[in-house]
Amino acid sequence: MIMFLMALSLGMFGLAVTAMAFGAATRNEQTPDAPIQPRLELAPERFFADAHKSFHRQPHVPLEVLLLQIEQHVRLEQAAAESFISLPSPEVLNCRTQSPLVH
Amino acid sequence: MPDTRPDLLKSMSAGDADAVLALGSRLTLSSGAVLFELGIQADQLYVIDRGRVNLTLPMQVFGHEEDILVEERVAGQTLGWSALIPPHRFTLKATAQIDTELLAFRRMALLDYFAAHPDVGYAVVGNVAATVGQRLQVFQAMWLREMKRVLELSRGTGSAA
Repeated sequence: MIMFLMALSLGMFGLAVTAMAFGAATRNEQTPDAPIQPRLELAPERFFADAHKSFHRQPHVPLEVLLLQIEQHVRLEQAAAESFISLPSPEVLNCRTQSPLVH
Repeated sequence: MPDTRPDLLKSMSAGDADAVLALGSRLTLSSGAVLFELGIQADQLYVIDRGRVNLTLPMQVFGHEEDILVEERVAGQTLGWSALIPPHRFTLKATAQIDTELLAFRRMALLDYFAAHPDVGYAVVGNVAATVGQRLQVFQAMWLREMKRVLELSRGTGSAA
């Protein structure tokens, strides 16, 4: 009987130690109240045209004025290209114009 | 003495030039009138006698389709060479910028005349090739300038010309 009680006590002691160890091992695992939502940090748009102020239509510039600026740009660019054809050189090819769309 | 004839008739005798001119019919456009639309059948070649013609392509500008100037043609210059070059469809829209007078040459009338006078046909086709080649060279240079600008913008180096 004594032997049986000793074995039972040791068994209970072992079970208690095992339960404590299990509790210690799982203590940091917390169930979140709500699932964690992945956060996507979007970089600001850097499409090349957005980086240049000339490509933004100013709200006070009427469409007709913008179209005139485009026409002026085309004329200046065509004149620059024709100058290059008349006298081909890298300097003439890359010369700057007074186009309002590129300043 | 510089050759003041229309570019279509350069490098040919005065008699041949007059014979070709006689094939044309005179056409008057008021300011803003459309000579031809993009994509339509090209049956006539034109030489500007007086005035100015805008050649445009459609482009979306802030949600609006607008005719964007591609080239200007003035007195003495040829336009509508698609009439002689397959697939005979206009690749631009032509609009008179101011009151304009032109000579219009029907393709079949020209080809019939060239068949009978090959030397004239050779000269005219050479002049058309010069017009086409000049446009190609201009646009090669313009394209390269735009590419340079795109590269500078993409690198954030700011104002480019």
